[in-house]
Amino acid sequence: MNAAAARGPAIDQKRKEAYFTASQGQLIWARFKQQKAAMAGALVLATLILSGFFAPFLTPYDPTIAGRDKSYQNGAPQIPKFWDENGFSARPFIYSYERSRSIATNFRWVTQVRRDQRRYLSFLPEGDSYTFLGMKFNHHLFGVNRGQIHLFGTDSTGKDIFSRNFHAINTSLAVGTIGVLIAFVMALIIGGVSGFYGGWIDSILQMITDAIRTVPAIPLFMALAAFIPDVWSAEMRFFFISTILGLIGWPTLARRVRTHLLTERNQEYVLAARLCGASPGHIIRRHLLPSFTSYIIVDLVISFPYMVLSETALSFIGLGLKDPVNSLGVMLQNVTDADVLLNYQWYFIPVIFFITLVLAFVFVGDGLRDAADPYSETRK
Amino acid sequence: MLLFARFVLFRAVMAVLTLVIVSLIVFTLMEMVPGDCAERYLAFKNTQGSAISVEDIQAERVRLGLDKPFATRWVTWIVNAFQGEFGESCILRLNISRLLGEKFWISLGICITSLILAYLIALPVGIISATSNNALLNNSLRLVSYLGLALPNFLLALMIMLFSTLVFHNSLTGLFSKEFRDLAWSYDRVIDFLQHVWLPILILGWSATAFAIQTVRALMSDEIGKLYVTAAEARGVSGLRLLWHYPARHALGPIVNSLGFDLNRIFNELPVVALILTLTEAGSLLIEALARSNDQQLAGAIIFLLTGSIVVLNFLTDVLLAATDPRIRHSILR
Repeated sequence: MNAAAARGPAIDQKRKEAYFTASQGQLIWARFKQQKAAMAGALVLATLILSGFFAPFLTPYDPTIAGRDKSYQNGAPQIPKFWDENGFSARPFIYSYERSRSIATNFRWVTQVRRDQRRYLSFLPEGDSYTFLGMKFNHHLFGVNRGQIHLFGTDSTGKDIFSRNFHAINTSLAVGTIGVLIAFVMALIIGGVSGFYGGWIDSILQMITDAIRTVPAIPLFMALAAFIPDVWSAEMRFFFISTILGLIGWPTLARRVRTHLLTERNQEYVLAARLCGASPGHIIRRHLLPSFTSYIIVDLVISFPYMVLSETALSFIGLGLKDPVNSLGVMLQNVTDADVLLNYQWYFIPVIFFITLVLAFVFVGDGLRDAADPYSETRK
Repeated sequence: MLLFARFVLFRAVMAVLTLVIVSLIVFTLMEMVPGDCAERYLAFKNTQGSAISVEDIQAERVRLGLDKPFATRWVTWIVNAFQGEFGESCILRLNISRLLGEKFWISLGICITSLILAYLIALPVGIISATSNNALLNNSLRLVSYLGLALPNFLLALMIMLFSTLVFHNSLTGLFSKEFRDLAWSYDRVIDFLQHVWLPILILGWSATAFAIQTVRALMSDEIGKLYVTAAEARGVSGLRLLWHYPARHALGPIVNSLGFDLNRIFNELPVVALILTLTEAGSLLIEALARSNDQQLAGAIIFLLTGSIVVLNFLTDVLLAATDPRIRHSILR
């Protein structure tokens, strides 16, 4: 009994000690863990990022024209089953199909499902070869023993939407990452200098920032699209788009950094640091930036989906990435067709992934915001 | 007061300078597009059947003044642009001001209306969401604002179109009914316009609203935790008065500051949404000018006009901000 009583305060003491000696990162993580929505968002986000990264292995077919299924164009999604009227099977299966068109079907391809012919799912089959981390592989996570399986259906050329979708997530994330990195570094430097010094430096920087910031990016980009030569490879386009998004994205963040610094730089702690002889760079890095880390984090995580969104919007209207590269926007290019709207609604499946991806980002961003704010605990 | 007048004048000069820089950027980009106006027009005529020689192109260049140096043409362009005169379109050979005139004002009107709508909704909702302890209300509001980000305007437009096509057999597109499209403005045409315009306004305002709610909420919950709010509470200020006079006043600065940016975002969404909703009267014209026919004269004019309206709004918000927050005014003038 004595021992128990002694242990209580000791644990308490230890917890206090851990709390007081914890680094900023540990504190943020501890607060972040307590938020269910943010944790769920982080989990979904991690899943999506990983599934995008391992897309070549996780998806059964090559996402480009090389992996198309000629016998199943504009085909509906196939859902694996365990049983039907012909009996139960431990291995999931899909049906075979026959496609035909004639005057009776108004020359549209019509799929006839053959319920008596099953195709069984197989684990780790050999398929289209792909390069991953510099090595060549040809095993995929799953496939079927005969023909092909299309969980999300196929598009008008017979490309597997499931495979394209996960490759597209990877591309969209990569464009976003490059864009955000460029934007972030530029914003911190320009916004920081502008807000800290004020005066004429601020005026000149602000004028340039203002000028770039005020030009609406998408209309401008539409004007520039004529400038992108058709001969550019998919990779060139990819880097061009990411860079453009980054160069367009920085002024917003820079202006916010600057506005905050303008009000913050007259505070006493900045004066104190200056009287101690700290250099301007030191004051910006050690005192001013931490004073609104939460703000920067939110802006950064929020601007990420906007990068993805801009890329999607540009690709959607046909001015961004183009076909051999798969991005979520590229996949949505044809959905405005009346034919698609009325008959092939599975073209919209990437929308679900887009929404999930952006939602996950925003949940994580919001959670980080609350976690990074040292006063969020005292408020509650 | 004198200080304030000086500030306003200073900002006005800055706004004009910004426009000059923008015009330089836009004009240079227009120059960089391969092929000039003369080639383009004559190539277009060529497709109509008339034979074109190199001399014809040269003569057309001289007629359009394209043989003069870059700086001269830029100065001419910018001086004319400030007078609202953008010359002729490359391919259509029509006066751009006449071509755009009404279409530009309608587009601007739609965008500004959606911006106002967005903040009318976002300000109260954001403040309530930041202060309320009601978990259900808070979470559903947060979900709405998240959805605004995750379901961008063009996807929303697509979904509404799909829904209305399947359910009402009417795709709700366009700005005017067929019979009013080419008529002069009249009472009936205004009514017809209002019957169509609400949908683009709602769609364009949708993600602006969601974003504004997010901003207002973030700023308010940042400010509410600060000591001066607690101090005011201790002095016996409470309820709406407390919110409005203390944290909201501080949070308002960055919000007013970002209005121009929000307009920019709406302009960004306009062409995509307009393309989906086939509002040929507004933003689709942009797509025609920018992407299909490579009409750089028209493209430059449109981008200059859009940017100009954002610059004007930025100027207004800067003045407004300085009027409410003397700290900003002093720090710039000192």
